[in-house]
Amino acid sequence: MSVETATSKPAPAAPPGPGRLHQRPARPAHWGRKALWLLVSLIVVAAFWSVKIKWSALADFGPQLVKYLGLMFGPPDWSKFGEAFSAVVLSVQMAWIGTVLGILISFPLSFLAARGLAPRAVNWPLRVLFAVIRAVPEVVIAILILSVTGLTPFTGALALAVGSVGTLGKWGYESFEGVDPGPKEAVRSTGGGTLALIRWGIWPSAAPEVLSFWLYRFEINVRASAILGLIGAGGIGKMLTDNVQFRNWDAVGMLLLVVIVVTMIIDQLSGAVRNRLVNGSWRPPRSRGRNRPRR
Amino acid sequence: MSQAAAPSAPYMGQRPSKPRRGRPTAAAVVVLAAITVWAGLGVGVDLAAIGRNWQNAVVNTTQLLQPDYAFFPKTIPALLETLNMAVIATFIGSLLSVPLAFLASRATNPNAPLLGAVRFGMNLIRSVPDILYAAILVAVVGVGALSGIMALVLFNVGIIVKLVSEALDAEDLGAQEAALAAGATWTGANRSAMLPQILPSLASQVLYTFEINIRASTVIGLVGAGGLGILIDNVRSFFRYHELSLIILEILVMVLVLEALSSALRKRLV
Repeated sequence: MSVETATSKPAPAAPPGPGRLHQRPARPAHWGRKALWLLVSLIVVAAFWSVKIKWSALADFGPQLVKYLGLMFGPPDWSKFGEAFSAVVLSVQMAWIGTVLGILISFPLSFLAARGLAPRAVNWPLRVLFAVIRAVPEVVIAILILSVTGLTPFTGALALAVGSVGTLGKWGYESFEGVDPGPKEAVRSTGGGTLALIRWGIWPSAAPEVLSFWLYRFEINVRASAILGLIGAGGIGKMLTDNVQFRNWDAVGMLLLVVIVVTMIIDQLSGAVRNRLVNGSWRPPRSRGRNRPRR
Repeated sequence: MSQAAAPSAPYMGQRPSKPRRGRPTAAAVVVLAAITVWAGLGVGVDLAAIGRNWQNAVVNTTQLLQPDYAFFPKTIPALLETLNMAVIATFIGSLLSVPLAFLASRATNPNAPLLGAVRFGMNLIRSVPDILYAAILVAVVGVGALSGIMALVLFNVGIIVKLVSEALDAEDLGAQEAALAAGATWTGANRSAMLPQILPSLASQVLYTFEINIRASTVIGLVGAGGLGILIDNVRSFFRYHELSLIILEILVMVLVLEALSSALRKRLV
């Protein structure tokens, strides 16, 4: 049938001219895309043009960097390692408490912010709250909390907790809304209420993702806790800024190494657990790129 | 066969037995609780302090809810500087990241030692918080926007390379294989077969980085790296909460507007 029609029809819509046949089709113009590129380029040029920078300072950046790296790492000063270690432990503790408090607060809130689990009038204020929190940097949150708890590590933990509520809340309701509707319908059709829906229709599918978000936020908080030290919340950040201010470069080098190593270890551990939660294996899934025959 | 047939009658009304994994879960909960207690003791969790001092928070919050709009003209230069820093850092960061992302993906870099080296370097760069870069660069190149831009660039390269190289890992390799089979070099195959595939996700990551930069560039100023952060540091040391409130409001508006714009754009892209 199809063969017949294909053969019976002479070439579709006789070509307008012999020349056209060998010609490429005209490129689509994409005016919108061009306009966007132009706009972006203009913004970049304007930024370079209006920023007040002595670009000449870049000329001796190379030698300067080498000099400072030499001061920091040649060799680093390990005499204060004990102090640095307890400071970094304090930072990690701050991050942990911040994450735990953040989870405790955001977990119920993200259910209330999810569509279908609470009325719209409850959804929207919470979503706005999460967005507002996400827009404010943790350091600023910490500055606000300072007056309540003083300059203590607990203040840092609280600031991280508030910051975590913004991201965890958002990720939470997004993943609750994204679960497969099948189990939800099943629960509803058997007469389950909202609590049963959450427990049996949503949580089992959303749990791996949500747990992995919690860990991811912990990784973020470990980095942010170092930042909070800047305003005096204690931990490794405070020690670092103190040493930068007094120009103890060899101690700064040691501290940087400590921060990098601890952050990397935590990232690796947490990454492995996240893989276990989401993919069921401690190692990252093999990407398709690996399976291709190697040259 | 016979096994499958036998259980039919007695098992009909019965539930399938639940997989048992109670013990590992309980163990995990105990361990997590122990860590939390240990961390709580270290940090000095003091919920009573909140009860004692909540009036301070009320006073501050009421001050914060009354931004001093007269302060606005004074914030404009810092605001512009923050935007400039974010734009420039995003631009330079993305330019640097594209080749590095191709070197950091298994799919596009056949050279295992080089791949390992690039990935290790990227992990190293990512494990230092942006503000520490800023603190050190301020010491090296001096106070001002330049050190901030450089700190943001380092920070951005870390993020973009990670996200884009992961996108490359997940990409379909058919076109690249075809190009290689037709005699293309790896560079040529990557450029003509892989780059077009990841352009949308690259653009989306760049936008995302820009959002992060706006937020980060307000903070790195705290150590003297230019932008709104310097202003925040000034007003907070004098406890001028009305002015601080205006600055926070500005950050808020800027971030929310950009987030809305870029998420609309990203939705179109991906």
